[in-house]
Amino acid sequence: MGQLNLNKVQKFYGTFEVLKSIELEVRNGEFVVFVGPSGCGKSTLLRMIAGLDETSSGDIVIDGKRVNDLPPVKRGIAMVFQSYALYPHMTVFENIAFPLRVEKMPEDKLKAKVENAARILHLDQRLQQKPGLLSGGQRQRVAIGRAIVREPKIFLFDEPLSNLDAALRADMRIELAKLHKQLKATMIYVTHDQVEAMTMADRIVVLNAGEISQTGAPLELYHKPANMFVAGFIGNPRMNMLPVTCKAVSDAGVEIEFKGQPATIPVNGRADLVGQPLTLGIRPEHIQFGEADLSMNLTPSVIERLGAQTVAYASLDGESENFCAMLPGSAPIRTDETVPIGIGAADCHLFDASGIALERRVALTDINVGLLKIAGG
Amino acid sequence: MSTQPAMINRYRWYELISIYAGIFLFLTFILAPFVEGFLVSLKPLGLLFTSPYKFWPENGSFAAYRTMWVSVPGFARYIFNSFFISIIVTAIVLILVVPASYAFARFTFRGSGLLLGAFLAVNMFSGAVLLIPLFRLMRTFGVLNTYFAMIVPGVAFLIPSAIWLLRTYMMRIPRELDEAAFVDGASHFYTLRRVILPIAMPGITVVAITTFIGSYAQQFIFALTFNSKTEYMPLPVGLFAYFGRQEVIWNELMAASFVGITPAIIVIFFLQRYLVSGLTAGAVKQ
Repeated sequence: MGQLNLNKVQKFYGTFEVLKSIELEVRNGEFVVFVGPSGCGKSTLLRMIAGLDETSSGDIVIDGKRVNDLPPVKRGIAMVFQSYALYPHMTVFENIAFPLRVEKMPEDKLKAKVENAARILHLDQRLQQKPGLLSGGQRQRVAIGRAIVREPKIFLFDEPLSNLDAALRADMRIELAKLHKQLKATMIYVTHDQVEAMTMADRIVVLNAGEISQTGAPLELYHKPANMFVAGFIGNPRMNMLPVTCKAVSDAGVEIEFKGQPATIPVNGRADLVGQPLTLGIRPEHIQFGEADLSMNLTPSVIERLGAQTVAYASLDGESENFCAMLPGSAPIRTDETVPIGIGAADCHLFDASGIALERRVALTDINVGLLKIAGG
Repeated sequence: MSTQPAMINRYRWYELISIYAGIFLFLTFILAPFVEGFLVSLKPLGLLFTSPYKFWPENGSFAAYRTMWVSVPGFARYIFNSFFISIIVTAIVLILVVPASYAFARFTFRGSGLLLGAFLAVNMFSGAVLLIPLFRLMRTFGVLNTYFAMIVPGVAFLIPSAIWLLRTYMMRIPRELDEAAFVDGASHFYTLRRVILPIAMPGITVVAITTFIGSYAQQFIFALTFNSKTEYMPLPVGLFAYFGRQEVIWNELMAASFVGITPAIIVIFFLQRYLVSGLTAGAVKQ
């Protein structure tokens, strides 16, 4: 139906390797999000799947058929562009009908399909208007409508929401998630916004410098990032990284020392790590007031009060790197006034010298929310 | 609230005076020949050689506009010829230039830069330099003294600048529109016809107007060289008919000039309606 396989897909621009041997399987009906910083190759990968960019080597397989040499329309994909790419001289109806007109579909069938798509996207009242009269969100819906009418096997979205303002983006996120539920189609979505990735994806593919850094469910990436890049990229504000030393490895976890304080982090260690420098990662939202397994003093230089949280940026104990703490509510802190804060050992991530994470022992319910008991149920 | 213009459009009184003085000066230079030409067309021939010269026609009339048809009976034909040649040239140029500019704007192919450079270089030669070789060529093909002889060189010399103009315009049309059409299964020609052509309409209109005017202006030299048949003569050559053996009928010549350019002005007036800016609004987020 809509299954996609990428086998050792590579892309060169001249001698520059943009994508390095990408291996990925996307199951039918899955919502997969490619996320990564700009220049990581995520848009290029999408355009290669679409057939807009050539593949240097490797196979792109849709439903068991190698499609490298097929034009987009024969691949069974439809694409929604970042800039909407609407035809300004055509009405909304004609814009949505465009792919069907190319197919030379009979008029009555075409009309039914366009009206159906318009109903799904709440564009019924706008069909006779030109795109110039529509708002950004409506334009984006027209672009999606043009993709829907063809009933493709796979939808490709290239940063479709990045031109919308924040409030509209949140609305469209929800609409897209609903649309996915309704159409049950395979969707591949490219974004640099990790909130979009976390909220919509069944599975996130984190790309970094042309390589897949990690693939996994949103919460898996949050709780068990495979390396320092994913740890830093997923989660906002980004994870704090602190240098520590490994003292011992036991069944209970890895014993580390941070500025003279010992702590045992519940992660799967290796014997050869003893004596090695490690990096401890702690998310700003896991920092708490007062003493904990690891304690330190925080002197905020900038405080952002968001209502639900208070975000404090500080240089920790005289170190230059920006340390960030997110405290609940209106936290009683002031700039340039030192407060004691603590970190729970169970919240910590540990990375070895090459940036690879030591596997955390986290509850399965943290990763697969399907296992959670519904309150009252 | 005052109805003053925005701050950036506000000028001091002396700035305004100098702006209008400048406009007046340039308009005088540009329009004076037309005004004088029109005044001459109103005067009886005898009054044109009085001394001291009088600019204002004292017993002016539109008589010359009537007599001009009598003294040169073929004049209507000359207007038609001019118009006909220019229309055909414009049509051929557009048919050739639209796909060519699309190709130059969108596709990367070997030698595209070289070709564009060559077009620019050709543009630097005026048609006059190539008259002799062109004449020999026409004679070899046996097409002297036909419309063909005046149309083909006209087309050839107008194509380069038309391609440059339209290519620049088409490059401003977002590439995503082509890509979206391609993803939806449209061929290049379908995309050109259904997507690019309607959006490029203002650019195509500009090209049509400049080509039409260009063709009107340059047909004189081609007609003079490649054509000796009276019935094929375009307007600029036809005007010579008012140069009699003894005297030039200046007032009728001027009247004929004004009558002759009227069709062209009407065409341009209708074409400029299509010069709508902002036709691409809403295509992409800008």
